[in-house]
Amino acid sequence: MEKKNVFLIVKDVISEVLPDVDSDGVKIEQNLKSLGANSIDRTEIVMLSMERLGIKLPLVSFGGVENIEEMVDVLVDNT
Amino acid sequence: MQLVGIEMLNIFGGSAYLDVDQLASHRGLDKTRFDNLLMKEKSVALPYEDPVSLGVNAAKPIIDALSDSEKDRIEMLITCTESSFDFGKSMSSYMHDYLGLNRNCRLFEIKSACYSGTTGLQVGINFVLSQVSPGAKVLVIATDISRFLVAEGGGVLSEGWSFAEPSSGAGAAAMLVSDRPYIFQVDVGANGYYGFEVMDTCRPVADSEAGDSDLSLLSYLDCLQQSFSEYQKRVPDANYLESFSYLAFHTPFGGMIKGAHRTMMRKMLKAKADVIESDFEERVFPGLIYCQRVGNIMGATTALSLVSTIEHGEFYSPKRVGCFSYGSGCCSEFFSGVVTAESQEYLKQFNIADKLDQRYPLSMDEYDALIKESTTVRFGTRNVKLDTGFLDGVRNSSDMPRLFLKEIKEYHRLYEWSQ
Repeated sequence: MEKKNVFLIVKDVISEVLPDVDSDGVKIEQNLKSLGANSIDRTEIVMLSMERLGIKLPLVSFGGVENIEEMVDVLVDNT
Repeated sequence: MQLVGIEMLNIFGGSAYLDVDQLASHRGLDKTRFDNLLMKEKSVALPYEDPVSLGVNAAKPIIDALSDSEKDRIEMLITCTESSFDFGKSMSSYMHDYLGLNRNCRLFEIKSACYSGTTGLQVGINFVLSQVSPGAKVLVIATDISRFLVAEGGGVLSEGWSFAEPSSGAGAAAMLVSDRPYIFQVDVGANGYYGFEVMDTCRPVADSEAGDSDLSLLSYLDCLQQSFSEYQKRVPDANYLESFSYLAFHTPFGGMIKGAHRTMMRKMLKAKADVIESDFEERVFPGLIYCQRVGNIMGATTALSLVSTIEHGEFYSPKRVGCFSYGSGCCSEFFSGVVTAESQEYLKQFNIADKLDQRYPLSMDEYDALIKESTTVRFGTRNVKLDTGFLDGVRNSSDMPRLFLKEIKEYHRLYEWSQ
């Protein structure tokens, strides 16, 4: 799947986990912490994104990702 | 099937505690969505408390309730910790002395981060099951403190790690393992274990910690799913929802367990949000109540959650409790056992809730002074006499005699009983 489509799915998940965030304004280079996501929210966003994309990966594959783009890259590499 | 499990179980949740919300404000932590982390209080080790004193204080009421002949059947004392102050000498040697146990006893120590207490428990269970010494008992003491602040500097391993301070507590769990499992009758062979190498949280330097909290959470969730899957292979009819009346988790902080349980309910059962929420309240929350008061006591936390489950659950009929233990680095295990109304009655003798209530409430100023004072007992301290007048009110805040560190003399630790 193309990166921009994966990003759209991730943005959709972000708005579901963080209802106060306007997902239209989310930029791919932002990090989830700056959107107000705590560690549990961040993990939730990773898991829901994988579910939507039908990806089965160990969660630790996302260890060390620093922003939304790096997370999207891991997802794209495994779709 | 031979009976085996925990004959008696007690928790020592320290002598002083701190309000975690106050600490987060004081440290200037980002408190957006802080309530979701479900943290309330944490026990704090005083300069004259260490893993030995905490462990002895947890085990003493159990030992005092045994007859001399029962006490003499303790043939193994295992300390389980990531907070020891000596690379060679096992802390179990000190505890053996202050508890006055039989010398025909194996004394050793286990390290496996927060999985250590479960490791010790499983070693004890397997010793009893082996029947090489019929009737023998094993005393497993998981004891941990988090005395100093985070390792300074660095990139990845310090990022977001500031939340470790509010979540890290101090305390110990003592478990007497035998063929009389009055508290927790273990389901023999019902164990799913799972481990692999990951650098999530660690203690690579003396008196400090480092970690990547996001990676640790991800690893915890991977392990929970994988160890439960392995448990299911060994117990084919096991169902995450129906097989366990309660679930006791290793609890770094409550919010993490809520997230972990949500993941399992969704993955295993495709459950909807309202079902997950009510199931969390019913089956998981009883095990979080003491964890929210003591904080993460690492190797002892799974046992703390089990005690909390037994004391706050409803056991008019025998019920199965599923337990999950995770230790960074990492190794994990899902296992289970049965708790009865008698288990609840037996635990009452230890007045665990009352003892938590009796802890001294630290002000932020006192907490900061305590951290400074604790540098007097840094790892490697050769000689020091502890200032017993430091926060004197704490030493007398309990109605039970407690062991405190008195002096370190040529590296040898000397303790004294209060009252």
